[in-house]
Amino acid sequence: MMHSDIKSRPVYQALAPDLAGSRHLLVVEGETLVAGRLDELAGLFAPVQATLHTWLAGAATPVAGLGRLWQLESAADVVDALACASRGYGVGDRLYVQGTEPFLWSVATAAAVVGFGEKQLRLHHAGSLRRRVWCTHCHGMTEGVTTSIVACGGCGRHLLVRDHFSRRLGAFMGVMVDAEAPGEVPAIEEVFA
Amino acid sequence: MTIAFKPDETFRGDYTYRNSDAAVLRFPFPFPEDRYMYSVNIEPHVRSGPSDVFLRPFDVDEHYIAECRDKAITLERDPGRCQVLPHMMLAQWDTLELLMESLSADYPALFSLVKEGDDFGSRWTWTNRPLGIEQRFIFGDPATLPCEPFEYITRQAQGDFAICDQRDNNLYMDAGMVTSQADWSLEFDVGMSFMEWHGPVPLAHQTGVFERALKYLLMLRLGQPVRRLNWTMTINPRLDTSPESFPEWGPDRASVTPDNAGRKVHLRVELQTLWRLPRSNAILFPIRCYLASLEDLARVPKWGARLHRVLSTLPPELVEYKGLTRYLPAALEWLARHDDGRELPVGTESGITTL
Amino acid sequence: MIGETLRLKVAAVADIAPGLRHVRLVAADGGKLPPAAAGAHVQLVLAGATRTHRNAYSLVSRPGARDAWEIIVRRVPTSRGGSAYVHESLQAGDVLEAGWPGNLFAPVRTARRQLMIAGGIGITPFLSYLAEFAFSGVEHALHVCCRESERHAFDPWLADRPHVAWHWDADGHRLDIPALLAAQPMGTHLYVCGPAAMNDEVLAAAAAAGWPDTHVHCEHFGSALSGGEAFRAFLARSGIEVDVAEDESLLDAIERVGVKAPCLCRGGACGVCVTPLLEGEAEHRDHVLSAEERAAGRLIMPCVSRARAGRLVLDL
Ligand code: HEM
Ligand code: FES
Repeated sequence: MMHSDIKSRPVYQALAPDLAGSRHLLVVEGETLVAGRLDELAGLFAPVQATLHTWLAGAATPVAGLGRLWQLESAADVVDALACASRGYGVGDRLYVQGTEPFLWSVATAAAVVGFGEKQLRLHHAGSLRRRVWCTHCHGMTEGVTTSIVACGGCGRHLLVRDHFSRRLGAFMGVMVDAEAPGEVPAIEEVFA
Repeated sequence: MTIAFKPDETFRGDYTYRNSDAAVLRFPFPFPEDRYMYSVNIEPHVRSGPSDVFLRPFDVDEHYIAECRDKAITLERDPGRCQVLPHMMLAQWDTLELLMESLSADYPALFSLVKEGDDFGSRWTWTNRPLGIEQRFIFGDPATLPCEPFEYITRQAQGDFAICDQRDNNLYMDAGMVTSQADWSLEFDVGMSFMEWHGPVPLAHQTGVFERALKYLLMLRLGQPVRRLNWTMTINPRLDTSPESFPEWGPDRASVTPDNAGRKVHLRVELQTLWRLPRSNAILFPIRCYLASLEDLARVPKWGARLHRVLSTLPPELVEYKGLTRYLPAALEWLARHDDGRELPVGTESGITTL
Repeated sequence: MIGETLRLKVAAVADIAPGLRHVRLVAADGGKLPPAAAGAHVQLVLAGATRTHRNAYSLVSRPGARDAWEIIVRRVPTSRGGSAYVHESLQAGDVLEAGWPGNLFAPVRTARRQLMIAGGIGITPFLSYLAEFAFSGVEHALHVCCRESERHAFDPWLADRPHVAWHWDADGHRLDIPALLAAQPMGTHLYVCGPAAMNDEVLAAAAAAGWPDTHVHCEHFGSALSGGEAFRAFLARSGIEVDVAEDESLLDAIERVGVKAPCLCRGGACGVCVTPLLEGEAEHRDHVLSAEERAAGRLIMPCVSRARAGRLVLDL
């Protein structure tokens, strides 16, 4: 039942500074930090420290060596801060993000609105595999989905969570699983823990 | 040429859609051979071919009025079926110009376009007799039309339309009018790149079909449109088989029996054309949908037999992707009665001139 | 709007500066031309006394114009002959064969800001860009580097066009490319069209300032068009030996002997003319083949590339 080799599924990268960039912004979702990860990032980004800003979202204990450091509450705060044009982004800027998939795409879509192109952005997936699911029928979003089938938060239908992914919505497609034979819902499995 | 429109037929509810004999004979049957697999089946969109639907670049047939009405109903229920990203305004005007010029040149009894000039800022008058529309507007000024130019003209055309912006050596689906699709969502796909929106298609990525098709399309030339046929199956003559409305039409798939398959199961063929647009350098992708029931098709002996063979040998990945799994056995049982096993000539022509 | 070739009539020719000739073309049958986009070019078939030239020129007319197209042709000393023909022989009333417009240098419509840098005659594609940007309202700027004497040659196309700056080779008038490129906001796209040396300088400066390559666009036109040493080619499938003259391309020579070869841009950009190379060493001048493909030596783009030494054998 799982469609697994769908080509719209993004491929994520390890983080490393793009030395061609002129200024660098690193955004990290706190809950995805394992012990020592921030020190590791500080080491990786040492060559661009002078032009680096780091935003930590959620609980995280800061370390030295991450350039100018800011602490923000949540993904929503990151989105607001990005949209704040006062920073005056330049064409040589680079953005690096570490987080769960919903976090990555909240930041990436906000960055696209400011004008960041694909090549100015690096996304690194870490932490939980939980998904944001877009209901094809009511167009509502269901957050934090960890199961193969989920009840839509908008219309209540049982949605099969497909691998087809929309970068614009930052979400996977959910399609009513028992549309052909109402009530025939297959076993629900925990797959995106 | 006069077209006897069937203005009252429906594509939902009581499903009164029917094909005349002439419509069956001109059906763009898509199978030249007894087996089917994905390929880069693209050829120049010239004014000729094995079916009369190829005689004009934009085909208008007896279902025109009813299809435009069905489209309006779908849009009323779900305005999101028409989406245009902001940078696509030039491509919107390109599409309007292409459709108005082609339709008025090829069907002068039905459509006319009178221009006081060709440039943006010129006064144009568009007349659509079948739909009873006369519209004066200024080419290039969206405020002079009742809605944006792409929506305006594609509401008056059969089939779906996507516009792909070309940049970074890729195509992006940045606009669409999609009310008769084979189970894909414009709301979900808008803004995607060529490989992303084709993501769910099985097998074709692995054989390089999409890589070669994309390279070819990036070089598509102004004045030299190309075409391909795509197909799937639909239960009842329903145009709106979107994922959005799947809860409405999904149960129909469970209603097929070997006895009713001839009436219920329809072959759905899409004549897809690709046009380089002149001002925007974008690519217009019209998807013109033709529906024929198994009963219709079996009236052409070659087609009934060939469809039976294609469906009985279809790779399982395609059966699943096209959503045929639940009713394919019933459809095959019905079709088997129309296949005597004799060898069929290669080609899609019906081989007959009357039914 | 379907067709492959057009017949154009020269409506007027005029010299707008020494070595710069303006040509106005209309449909030979008195009808309408197909509309074309900003950055589009048209390929003209110029039937000279000794041989036929096929040259591509940027359209400088308004995008979408259907009554007439305009081009501006610079006389190139190392011309393959096409520009010399336009300057010496072309007259009002002449009828030419032409292809439908092509476009290998379209502006990116998702850009927040459009920055153009032109060198000399490289301004031509930007004349149509400016018309489009004035219509769409996108923020833009054009920097032109040219001889001081040519500053006003393009005035007829620049009336009511703000955002154009002129630079020439004198103190206080040179363009500081690194400074310009470092100061651009996020979402800017850069377009450069000029002599090869200037293009290279701008591309290098953009890379140094951190521009992602998706935002930098170069019209290579013209740079790869000039000829070189004469050489011989053998078309293996046709069994024909061809002499390629100094001022003609391999593709021109192949067509001259009556062999049909696929082609589109005739400028080494589109990849349509790619031909298997069976023997010989090519001097690659195209923008299509990768470094690996060049090293392998099995393919050549005959519209621009030539023999490095000796004879080439092609699978044609
Ligand atoms: C550039 C314009 C095109 C657009 C906008 C387009 C759009 C689409 C969409 C939205 C789908 C459905 C995918 C899904 O399941 O969600 C699809 C399927 C497909 N497309 Fe395209 N397409 C284009 C061009 C082409 C071309 C040139 C080819 C040539 C090989 C092609 C081959 C296919 C195939 C084989 C399928 C699967 C269809 C089926 O089995 O029902 N497409 N296309
Ligand atoms: S014709 Fe385009 S690369 Fe040769």
